[in-house]
Amino acid sequence: MILEFLQTLSEMQIVGELTVLSLLIGGVIMAGGVIIAKIAKLLFHKYYAPSLPKDTAQNISKLIYFGILIISFLGFTSSQGIDLSGIMVAGGIFAVVIGFATQSVVSNLISGLFLIVEKPAKHGDTIELPDMGISGTLLDIGTFSSKVRRFDGTVTRIPNEKFFTSNIRSLTLSTVRRADVTVGISYESEIDHAILVMKNEILETMPFVLQVPEPEFRTEELGDSSVNIHVYVWHPRDDWSNAQPILLNTLKRALDKSGIEIPFPQRVIWTGKD
Amino acid sequence: MKIMSDNSELTFSNFGIYDLVDQLELILPNTLIKFHRISENAFSYYRKNSEGNVVEKIIPVKSQDVKIELAPIRPLNYPARRTNHILLQFDKEIYLSENSAASIFVNCPIEIGIFLIHNSKHDSLDWITCDPLNSRFGLYGSPDTGTLCKYAKVTMATDYDDSNPYIEGVIQIVVENTLSFGHTISKVVFPITDNTLYYQNSKTIIDGLKITMKKRAAVNIADVQTTSLDTDWIASPTWEDKTTSAHMEMGLE
Repeated sequence: MILEFLQTLSEMQIVGELTVLSLLIGGVIMAGGVIIAKIAKLLFHKYYAPSLPKDTAQNISKLIYFGILIISFLGFTSSQGIDLSGIMVAGGIFAVVIGFATQSVVSNLISGLFLIVEKPAKHGDTIELPDMGISGTLLDIGTFSSKVRRFDGTVTRIPNEKFFTSNIRSLTLSTVRRADVTVGISYESEIDHAILVMKNEILETMPFVLQVPEPEFRTEELGDSSVNIHVYVWHPRDDWSNAQPILLNTLKRALDKSGIEIPFPQRVIWTGKD
Repeated sequence: MKIMSDNSELTFSNFGIYDLVDQLELILPNTLIKFHRISENAFSYYRKNSEGNVVEKIIPVKSQDVKIELAPIRPLNYPARRTNHILLQFDKEIYLSENSAASIFVNCPIEIGIFLIHNSKHDSLDWITCDPLNSRFGLYGSPDTGTLCKYAKVTMATDYDDSNPYIEGVIQIVVENTLSFGHTISKVVFPITDNTLYYQNSKTIIDGLKITMKKRAAVNIADVQTTSLDTDWIASPTWEDKTTSAHMEMGLE
């Protein structure tokens, strides 16, 4: 009964030598390929991906999935008796036409591959793209675009070509980072004393500031109204929020406690009589 | 509730295991800890330190046999857990001539863990430091490739009994110089997660270190390894995630 049914299908020609049966076999091969690809991807995610870096795991997962799909497709074409060599020749000319039309798409694809190979930043890194004014956490380097979650919670999609050709500033590659501010004291204040009180306040009240290297103070400028001191402190790379935003508060508190004046902009006017 | 302003007048609670029946009060330098039964199967936990920070927790318990262990732990948690390494900067440098060795005792900072014991299991309930002002970070090496460490400027001790209770423990460091010239040591960096802490009453001792200054190819290095302590003091339960690392190498400075 079944054999007779299959025989009937094999005799039903669609185009040329293509029959309903061969199309059915091709469909089974493709469906099998898709199922195997999904199972392989699932097993990889379950057993191997957790031990790999996230971006590497994502890339290998895509490679496995699309690799199996391509093999299935080749199986499908050979089951239909399709000669791919003819398509290759025609495809060459077609590819040139398509290439011109989809230049930016291909450029993004190639840039994505280079980004994966070069790894200027990896998944989870905090980065800044100064050219584009974007900073945040790198979520994904995809086939055509990359995604960055900004500090305000929104996600920005960046075409890989732009991402690859941009300056990328990694904020998490080093073990520690430096925070810095400038503070002005009055000309009447003793600089060494001001530095001492600021240093003590930092070391006492800012637990995330490193003691080695210790906070650094440079007298930067004898300004119009004040002596400007530039303060540099180091902190663990993930603790920017415990250093930079509160550094100026700490310095002001230290100067206030010691009665050291932070002067307003001022101008001395001498009149003719004087 | 009044937090003590003068620690010298108070008797502090020793390290050890305490039965938790209805209420329990533990007094440590600048810190007060209180447990109070609020129902048949639950206790409240209250902790206040000298900075006025209060931590309160509700502890549901299944069995009636509940104990609390107060024990020294590694100084890695305040102000936040960021590293496994500690950098001990000696207050006095140690000079070792060629092919010589020395054994020293050093005060190493500690923190204090509060553990809940039920069915013979230790669960970390809380941790404190009695010396927050001296619990800071330091960097060994350059900013891009260096190692972030907990930093402490430490003093020498005479022996294992010469420790500062609740704040520091004593660690023995054996230094051997196999180089063909004398060398001065001013600091040591090592992953303290390999070192077990032991306590008796209010004092703490820590697994030792063996530092060998040697030449490898064209580079002089200090090979730092942990040595287990053979003692009848009580081993403290470990709380941090233990990251195994065989030893640490420092460049000679």
